[in-house]
Amino acid sequence: MNLRFLLLLLGFGFMFTACDDDEPAPSFNAPTIDAPAGISTLVAGAASQAVNFTVTIDSELTGSYAVTGTGVTITTASGDLAAGSNTVTVNFDAGSTPGAASITLTATDSEGQSASGTAVFTVEENPSSIRVVGNITADATWVTGKTYILGGRISVEDGATLTIEAGTVVKGEAGTGVNATALVIARGAKLNAEGTASLPIIFTSIADEITPDQVASGDFASPNLGADVTGLWGGLIVLGRARISASTDAGEQLSEVQIEGIPTSDTNGLYGGSDDADNSGTISYISIRHGGSNIGEGNEINGLTLGGIGSGTSISNVEVVGNQDDGIEWFGGTVSVTNAVVWNAGDDAIDTDQAWAGTLDNFVVVTANGSLFELDGPEGDYTARHTIKNGSVRAIFGGRTTGGSLLDTDNGTSVDFSNIFFAGPLSFTDEDDNTVYLTITDDEFAATTFENVIFNIDAAELGNLMEQGGAVPAGVSAGTTSQADISVLGWTWAAQAGGLEGL
Amino acid sequence: MRHIFLFLAMTLMVSLAYSQQGKIRGTVIEDESGFEVIGANILVQETGTGNITDIDGKFTIDVDPGVYTLQVSYIGFQTLTIEGVEVKSDEVNVLGEIRLSEEGLELEEVVVKATAIRTTEAALMTIKKKSPQMLDGISSSLMKLTGDGTAVEAAKRVTGVSIEGGKYVYVRGLGDRYSKTTLNRVDIPGLDPDRNTIQMDIFPTALVSNIVVSKNFTAEMPADFTGGLLNIETKDFPDDKILSVSASLGYNPQMNLNSEFLSYTGGGTDFLGFDDGTRDLPAGARSDVVPTPISVITGDFTDQDVADFVGSFNPDFAAEQQTSFLDFSLSVSYGDQINLTKEDSNEDKGTLGYIFSASYKNDYTYYDDAFFGEYQRLSANEELDLRYANTKQGSIGENNILIGLLGGLAYKKGNSKYRLTVMRFQNGEKRAGQFDIDNNGDAVGQSGFIAVSENLEYNQRSLTNVLLNGTHKFGGDKSWELDWRLSPTLSTVDDPDIRRAAFSIGQTGSIFINAGEGGNPARLWRSLSELNAVSKVDLTKNYRFAGEAAKLKFGGSYTFKERDYEILLYDFQFFGGSQIFPDADPNLILQPERIYPTGNIYVQSGNIFPNPNEYNSTATTTAFYVSNEADLLPRLKTIIGVRAEQFVQKHTGRDVIAAQGGDGNELNDEEVLNALDFFPSANLIYSLADDMNLRAAYSRTIARPSFKELSFAQIIDPLSNRIFNGGLFSYPDWDGNLVETRIDNFDLRWELFQQGGQLFSVSGFYKRFDNPIELVRIPTQQTGNEFQPRNVGDGQVFGVEFEIRKNLAFISPAMDKLSFNTNVTFVESRIDMTDTEFNARKNFERRGETIESTREMAGQAPYVINAGLTYNDTEQGWAAGLFYNVKGETLTVIGSGLYPDVFSEPFHSLNFSVNKRLGAEKKTTIDLKVSNILNDRREAFFQSFNAQNEIFNSVNPGVNFSLGLSHQF
Repeated sequence: MNLRFLLLLLGFGFMFTACDDDEPAPSFNAPTIDAPAGISTLVAGAASQAVNFTVTIDSELTGSYAVTGTGVTITTASGDLAAGSNTVTVNFDAGSTPGAASITLTATDSEGQSASGTAVFTVEENPSSIRVVGNITADATWVTGKTYILGGRISVEDGATLTIEAGTVVKGEAGTGVNATALVIARGAKLNAEGTASLPIIFTSIADEITPDQVASGDFASPNLGADVTGLWGGLIVLGRARISASTDAGEQLSEVQIEGIPTSDTNGLYGGSDDADNSGTISYISIRHGGSNIGEGNEINGLTLGGIGSGTSISNVEVVGNQDDGIEWFGGTVSVTNAVVWNAGDDAIDTDQAWAGTLDNFVVVTANGSLFELDGPEGDYTARHTIKNGSVRAIFGGRTTGGSLLDTDNGTSVDFSNIFFAGPLSFTDEDDNTVYLTITDDEFAATTFENVIFNIDAAELGNLMEQGGAVPAGVSAGTTSQADISVLGWTWAAQAGGLEGL
Repeated sequence: MRHIFLFLAMTLMVSLAYSQQGKIRGTVIEDESGFEVIGANILVQETGTGNITDIDGKFTIDVDPGVYTLQVSYIGFQTLTIEGVEVKSDEVNVLGEIRLSEEGLELEEVVVKATAIRTTEAALMTIKKKSPQMLDGISSSLMKLTGDGTAVEAAKRVTGVSIEGGKYVYVRGLGDRYSKTTLNRVDIPGLDPDRNTIQMDIFPTALVSNIVVSKNFTAEMPADFTGGLLNIETKDFPDDKILSVSASLGYNPQMNLNSEFLSYTGGGTDFLGFDDGTRDLPAGARSDVVPTPISVITGDFTDQDVADFVGSFNPDFAAEQQTSFLDFSLSVSYGDQINLTKEDSNEDKGTLGYIFSASYKNDYTYYDDAFFGEYQRLSANEELDLRYANTKQGSIGENNILIGLLGGLAYKKGNSKYRLTVMRFQNGEKRAGQFDIDNNGDAVGQSGFIAVSENLEYNQRSLTNVLLNGTHKFGGDKSWELDWRLSPTLSTVDDPDIRRAAFSIGQTGSIFINAGEGGNPARLWRSLSELNAVSKVDLTKNYRFAGEAAKLKFGGSYTFKERDYEILLYDFQFFGGSQIFPDADPNLILQPERIYPTGNIYVQSGNIFPNPNEYNSTATTTAFYVSNEADLLPRLKTIIGVRAEQFVQKHTGRDVIAAQGGDGNELNDEEVLNALDFFPSANLIYSLADDMNLRAAYSRTIARPSFKELSFAQIIDPLSNRIFNGGLFSYPDWDGNLVETRIDNFDLRWELFQQGGQLFSVSGFYKRFDNPIELVRIPTQQTGNEFQPRNVGDGQVFGVEFEIRKNLAFISPAMDKLSFNTNVTFVESRIDMTDTEFNARKNFERRGETIESTREMAGQAPYVINAGLTYNDTEQGWAAGLFYNVKGETLTVIGSGLYPDVFSEPFHSLNFSVNKRLGAEKKTTIDLKVSNILNDRREAFFQSFNAQNEIFNSVNPGVNFSLGLSHQF
């Protein structure tokens, strides 16, 4: 600094002496430019890209710069430069043609001295599908028109938000056991997957030939896989910090547990906590298909797993088709779900555990290999009630017969049923020509209430639906009136395939 | 030296003169120390001929048939005269161990009958009496008496030994982690990925010379044992030309000749204990992408590829009923020694000995009412009784083939001896089971279903061991002894093509496959191979300290171990819904019309490559020790030593996330443990009287984490469906830093030796465990099937041991052929629970219960009792024994909150055996053995406060009879 000051004084001295002598003008340092080294890659058409140049202007001068590009579209073409070091951020959009591209920045100082630097790029073809490997630790967006391939069990980690735009297709690679693929939204992470009725988000298997273009065309059916093909990939697991009822004691609650299907060494699988208002994001208009990978003996992944999800989360318009395990399973939490369809669950269609404290409102269930409703009570001291209302249910349809119960509860199950319609038939003829009724496990209704729960069966036969032969509970009656509002479910594959007709 | 040659020459001349000569052989040992006497004189009084003892204290004399008197003498020892040594033409009379006592004040001669020389247990007792370590053992002669077929049956007769799962030996009730097994004093790999010790049931007793258990550490031993170091010594140099053949047949009314016995069609060489390739992994199964309908859609394969791939798996899933045969075994041993010195030469060319032994054993086990349960506590703490989560009951058939081959060569010349032993054990176990499963949907984490399942398993194990051993004596008075050993061992354990299929039985009676209930049909291949290479050198210098014999020992060893482990899983799936089956016959699953594309069944791979269910680990131990044995005070022998071990363990493995290409945990031949430890030991033996010792010992030992424990492995055990998480994973309550356990051992023993191998001893011991490792159940896993090895709170073990071997002649002289022996070990163990465990237990504290913050150590039996009554009439050739063995109720699976603890029940094993030697020469022996006379069940129970015990597992082994015949040619 001192040296500089000295030189400056010296310079003034020269100026005073030089004016009269008409000596040459003092020399200034020419601008210098540091351009990014190496060749960066760009995806064709990638918008809102940026590159930084460092430009140094003599300390006594100012300047300006101009940017030109080939193979790219520059959005900040020029600007001013201050004395000293400048960081110039050039914003641009990648061009649509694959190949070489470059951006050249030319800086000119107030003395008219100039210099230029060039950043070199390779523009790669914009892939229609992107394979995702490794956890998502920073905010990410999966964009409309693309297919994202899950290369494994992908967790969105605490603090990160994954945004999936409408019309996106997500496909899981095939595998079983440790090789199962799934999308896990860990506690503290968010999933904003907001499709629309005309552009839903599809979660399916890599075997599914569905494309974003097909979805955009309004055809949401899997073109090559039947609705009963299950277990080709895992599922969507969303975990949060709301209360769950997982253990008991006199003193402290076991407030967090590991979701089934993920080894405990991966802490992204933990759920539960004390924040009933927890927000795991917004999920709407999503269709989950062909999932439920087997990950161990008697252990699979549900279509949509909701573990300890808080009421700050919004979930509506959800469809699960052909999942090897349960359709939707709630493990505690406070989240409510509206407008849901579960079609061809490999195990139970609607499954609740650990004192879920939310409402399932307006839904359709079409057949399950297990039970249509498998509703369990609390596993710990914390108790809560949930509500299941405005639903229509089909036990036998399209050549498939429900293998388990129409409704299976346990003594602690705290659920309020209202406005539920069980469509017929509710019995079938076996190979020995006997009439076999599907049943309700009716010996464990201690905390279960019914209001306007209708079975499409002769009133005289209602008693045959009681597995233990008990009395038909209050609020249960014979009838034919459908209860779900299927008009809002028209976007689903189930509706497009005619599975909701007559409900 | 000149004298030696003179004697040798004389012997040779004698042998030259007569052709139909016989031989006298024996070993001369110091009575007090049990050490062999080198260079003792043996003189045949009648002929004036003789010989001197060699490096092993052994001698051979060739004489004409007749009855002779032998004079055995050595400077400083009383001369011993042995009368009535009978020699027959072309036969060898083996005198066994001839004991020389040190000279007293008066020079006297001791005269004994030849028949009294031969001893059985007395020999081992001498080792025991004078051994610096506290040790116990069993010799081949007692094994012969008890009729034990494998080393595991024999070992349980050793004081403080108990047997786990019919295969593993625990000492003083301490678990597997604290036991160690060596073969001819070198490390051998275990044959189970989850165990430290080797499965002892693969060693046929026909090949075993003796089994010795050392209960405290001295510097020349490896430091990684705490309960006991069990050494199996295989047969060495035969004294006698031996050709013996034996055979036996066994019958258990429940298991043999039973037409309901379960098995399945395996390979053509199953009867030889290995698979002939029938169960090989199908071609292409190791690919990243296998042919499935999915990979057909993605264009990698065709429909036909899928069908071919399914077709490459053996379609049999069902157990078959086959009539079981009788158990049987055969063994043959042949050995001799040859004097290589030419008859007309004065040059000593040494002696060559050889032995070859082979054994074959075929056993059937059938449990017709096996039961396995999983039970849980209820959440309400006033509900004391347990709730079942899952029960499985049915039948299991097992056919076990065991082959043992041993070949040995030994060469002795002058003061050197060389030994080469090659061993191979091959074991194949074929198992088939049929079960009814009842799963309770009300239980936590259970889905609730009824199913039937069938399992087909094959487990093949092999162990190949080579031992090259040299012993040299040198220096003045041959006071230096050098022993070196090189021993590579290769072991393999394979479970090729384990098959499992289950059908759910729906509420409407339909039969189908539900992945979420009984599970999809599955196949599994598991393999482990381990190489151990050991080299060690031991040097001993014998010297005098304060006029008494003293020894300085030092040496070193280098051990290298490498293990490869892998599991491959395949799952049969339906492309579309599960098919409905007309009945629950698993062989219907892979009928051609059900296979894709005709049907919808295909095989999916459960493997990622690189495979998280695979690892490679190496460990090297470099050790040096020095130890000195001297009588520091009159009557006080001290052995003080220290051992240094540098241990380095490396691991290659990964977790699932890393295997899938994500940012997971991966180790690539990285050091997971590198530590230098010093292990001091001090043993004091105070001789209260000639026949009475008081011993005290202190030592420090170590228990290191196993290969898979120091890893990021996530291993799903296909048999128990449990997930093992490597100890390096960190959790909120575990820092992922798994360290070794260091143990301080204190021992005190009083012992009294009496004539003829009689013994009375009382011992006390105390062990303090710093950072013991236990398998901890991870409480955040609701289904309770995840475990991780962790250092838990400090542990302590207190114990008392009694041993009595008493001839009953003291009651009445008429009972002099009856002996009673018993050994009893009582142990109290205590471990400080971790906060995680304590809280988990506290959360499920029952009304009226008080949870303590300590508990007993897992696997630690509170008591072990062995007792036997033996009858021995050498003259008439009768021997009989009644043996009882029991181990106290032992914590086997540590519970956690929802899951109660599991305790194994005492199994009261009462066995009887009798044998009779026939003929004038007593060369033929018939033996009869009855085991599990009490017909006890093997059971383990869930136990919870004031709750009724519920079964964890229960099988009925039944009563077994066996009849054997052996002949010495």
